Amino acid sequence: MKIHTKIVGDHVAVLKLEGKLNMVSAPKIRDEIHATVTAGNHKVAIDLTDVDFIDSSGLGALINGLKTARQAGGDLRIACPTAQVRMVLELTNIDRVLKAYENAESAFSD
Amino acid sequence: MENFKEDSLMTDTANGVFTEATRRRALEALNVLSKEPEERFDRITRLAAQLLKTKSAAITLILDDRVFIKSRFGTTISDPTRKDSFSDFAVRTSEMLDVPNASLDLRFKENPLVTGESHIRFYAGYPLEAQDGQLIGTLCVFDTEPRILTEDEQSLLYELKLWVQSEMTAEEEIARAARVQRSLLPKQPLVLDGYEVAGGCAHVQIVGGDFYDWYSISEGEAFTLADVMGKGMAAAILAATVRAVLRAGSRDHSIIKAVEIASDILEGDLHSTSSFVTLFHARLDIASGGIRFVDAGHGLSIIYRADGSNVRLTSDNLPLGAGIQTTWEEHQTNLGPGDTLVSISDGVLDLFDGTIGGLHRVENIVRYSDSVQLAVNEIISLADHSASDDATILIIRRSE
Repeated sequence: MKIHTKIVGDHVAVLKLEGKLNMVSAPKIRDEIHATVTAGNHKVAIDLTDVDFIDSSGLGALINGLKTARQAGGDLRIACPTAQVRMVLELTNIDRVLKAYENAESAFSD
Repeated sequence: MENFKEDSLMTDTANGVFTEATRRRALEALNVLSKEPEERFDRITRLAAQLLKTKSAAITLILDDRVFIKSRFGTTISDPTRKDSFSDFAVRTSEMLDVPNASLDLRFKENPLVTGESHIRFYAGYPLEAQDGQLIGTLCVFDTEPRILTEDEQSLLYELKLWVQSEMTAEEEIARAARVQRSLLPKQPLVLDGYEVAGGCAHVQIVGGDFYDWYSISEGEAFTLADVMGKGMAAAILAATVRAVLRAGSRDHSIIKAVEIASDILEGDLHSTSSFVTLFHARLDIASGGIRFVDAGHGLSIIYRADGSNVRLTSDNLPLGAGIQTTWEEHQTNLGPGDTLVSISDGVLDLFDGTIGGLHRVENIVRYSDSVQLAVNEIISLADHSASDDATILIIRRSE
């Protein structure tokens, strides 16, 4: 799993993930989100374009990130989930709290 | 040496009497008798040879009249007979066996491993102990050239043998945990008037975070299928907790209240472990077939109707531990004669193509099996062969 973090605006960071979001990569993502929020960027957009697989641990990392961001007064949003990721989000109803945006960089433009 | 059987058949120790049979049982309990190479042991033999600068290293286990080479580095020796082995000697003396030059050693100079193709000259090995003190084999290093092991090297070999022992024990610990976890699953089969019920659970690691459960309550029968995030021991500990709080809440409360109590109690634990749980929890009224259920982000329960139609049992609720839940929803449906309710964990979908389309494959298996137990068996045997995630299934069929 590769993570590219980019600050795109006022307190807004985009984390572009690449690879599988599973038990191995989940702690890394959780830590990166935590570090990003701690550094003051509490609006976190996760770009999932290049994530072709997510398991429950991966989903746990996103939920954890969402809680972390909200506790800091921000939010976590996702963009461009692939088919398998969308299926997992829908099955667990997490799509109700993690709505998918079309573009990570503009996920916080509203 | 010829008398090894008489010698070693019974060894009195402070802890009790060990026999060939107790040694075999110890080895079986340690789950180390598989012929497959195991990296956790191969890593140690590799290191032993490198650190002690010998051509070869091995982990040997003594089993009846053979010595089973569990892990080897730098040697192609096939499993020796016990009477020709250095290992048996080390085990019988209960001490480190140090042979600087076997061709000059009266005990070994006629040994086929010394005179033959293997051409062993140097040998040093420590006996391996099971937890109860029983000696089960050795960690040894050997070479075709004579060699003197320094004191430092001897302590290094001793440290490495402790490492082998802790690897073996770790496996035993987890096997014990697996037995406990299996004992927390309901006893098969459930006999209910007018219904057939079966469940099965296959964990990728020896223990896991999926479980199913059923038990009687005042309103009828309660059923659960839950999937704790992650795999292995961490997930298993949480799974046991989820099961316990749900059972406790189900005793005197409505289904909603039982889930709410579980959710409240678990929230802190799930938050501090960064985990969450998807849950299908249902109550069956046996006389009417009425079903009330709560689905916490599980989404993988379905009724295959006798008339060929299907109903997914879904809800808008999030998993336990998602931290954002407000109210729980209770839903109702019914199980008519010939209808079958199936709940699976997402690991079952992975047995097919990983998509929700897997539900159709499950449907084919369930509809065309003569009994629900056979359907469960078929899914679990698929999981035992190919699972990448814990796979669990629960089936309730109402008789025609």
